[in-house]
Amino acid sequence: MGIKIVPRHGNSFKDKTYLWAVFSGMKTTLKKFTTNLSDTNCIPTCEYPEAQPEDITDRYRGMHRLTHREDDSVRCVACFMCATACPSDCIFIEAEERMDEVDEKQPKSFDIDLLECIFCGYCVEACPCDAIRMDTGIFSIVARQREDFIINKEQLLKNRGAFGQENSLA
Amino acid sequence: MHYFMIVFPIILTSLFTLATIPLLVWMERRVAALIQDRLGPNRCNIKGIRLGGIIQPIADMLKLLFKEEFYPKHVKQKFYYILAPAIVFASSFLSFMVIPYADDITLDGFTYHIQALPIELGVLWVFAFAGLGVYGIIIAGWASHNKYSILGALRASSQVISYEIAMGLAIVSMLITYNSISLNDMVQFQGRLIFGFIPAWGIIIQPLAGLIFIVTAFAETNRAPFDAAEGESEIVAGYHTEYSAMKFALFFMGEYIAMSAASALIVTIFFGGYQIPWLNTQTMQEHMSLIILLLMVLIPLMALSFISWMNFNNSCSPEHQRETKFATIFITVFIIILESFLFYLLASGMSSEGNAIFIMIMQIISFALKVMLMNFVFVWVRWTFPRFRYDQTQHLGWRILLPLSLLNIFITAIVVVVGGL
Repeated sequence: MGIKIVPRHGNSFKDKTYLWAVFSGMKTTLKKFTTNLSDTNCIPTCEYPEAQPEDITDRYRGMHRLTHREDDSVRCVACFMCATACPSDCIFIEAEERMDEVDEKQPKSFDIDLLECIFCGYCVEACPCDAIRMDTGIFSIVARQREDFIINKEQLLKNRGAFGQENSLA
Repeated sequence: MHYFMIVFPIILTSLFTLATIPLLVWMERRVAALIQDRLGPNRCNIKGIRLGGIIQPIADMLKLLFKEEFYPKHVKQKFYYILAPAIVFASSFLSFMVIPYADDITLDGFTYHIQALPIELGVLWVFAFAGLGVYGIIIAGWASHNKYSILGALRASSQVISYEIAMGLAIVSMLITYNSISLNDMVQFQGRLIFGFIPAWGIIIQPLAGLIFIVTAFAETNRAPFDAAEGESEIVAGYHTEYSAMKFALFFMGEYIAMSAASALIVTIFFGGYQIPWLNTQTMQEHMSLIILLLMVLIPLMALSFISWMNFNNSCSPEHQRETKFATIFITVFIIILESFLFYLLASGMSSEGNAIFIMIMQIISFALKVMLMNFVFVWVRWTFPRFRYDQTQHLGWRILLPLSLLNIFITAIVVVVGGL
């Protein structure tokens, strides 16, 4: 059976003075500093409000939306699955009967409190009809008042998917 | 003129302490950012002029000034609670008083010392007030009536005690070398040359003492890597946990002034103070016109390289281009005025007093540059090294630096006695 002898570092006099390591560490940071100072374009920082992020993929969980049917009506059947799955209880649905023969039920109101929402995506997974999605790519949600963060059915329907899939696949 | 020359060093002291704080805060943040591949604060502006983010500390200061003066209810000793930041601020401010900014200058038969407090026992004054600063920290920790604060104060005080000894002993070996305790004498000593070409700076004569002193100065000012007193991972913010608004800002500014004072002391004792290498006061007096000519060549070259750097790095948007244009015009006008002034000096020929004043200004600028460079080292070290664990700090202080500094004193003393220097 072979025995691997691991070399132990840090016992020589050079290592114990620490000075060598100290100066090599300072050399590293100084090199970083001078290269970044001489050419600030090589700093990877994105200057956010002017330059928007470009690496948002279709799996990114942005603001919610309600998908549409082929005839552009709401896909949601108000089954309350998303509201049940929601761990932060931020989805408030009121159901009503649907009279246009397309389906039996539809939401009368569909409110999401974005301040309560933790963007976990459980509602999307729970939905049996692919009616709620988070593929809008909207990551910056701002409003002046708390009340404005509660978005209703009309706003959710207005949000469009950012990655091509517009209608519900179910 | 007589009164002005007496007040002048005091004005310089307040400039070196108070005016450098925003500069240091800015430097700390920008250098940290650049070391970590970030940009740092660069948005604050006055009508689009950002000066590389230097407006940011002004905004910070305004914010701290207008914050609510909040006193925690559990603080019983309100007097000490308010006194503590004042002690920290004042003591670090006062320790700057004895630093010489330029060589002694003789005008109209009077000799003026360019020191705010022209006393002979310079080093002792600095140590007295550097040591007093920690009382502010202890009182802050005690008056805050908070476990974290008192732990932070405890750490700070034990650290200062253990490092002040090594620091004092490192200085003792320097006192033996320079044969004086006056800071001005020390700087004058460093104007000489060893073997005719190496400047006799303290760090070259006594590298070990220099190293010990720099390390202990970091510990004394409670800065990284020895800032266990405010180790936020264990004890929130240490002694200033309970402080807010301007009371916190006083601690903050006190820390920066202490850093500046430590830099000034390091520069004065080990890096030749106000001396420009190879050009002490006599040499400068002899070769005045040559120096002015050299300046007239060097200053535009530096300005030119700065402008080209600015054009390269600050032209991505129209606002930035406008700012660059503004700065370019400003620098050009400034350089033209400076050049014509230097040309006037060169053409008209200066009296001996004019000469002396010119040398004084050169030395003050040299000192300021050195102090800023040393402050940069402080910042650079902070963003390079992780914080020492508390027992490692004590181990380094008592078991490594103290014996080393004692050894250094013995060696220095033997060399001085045997060599008969």
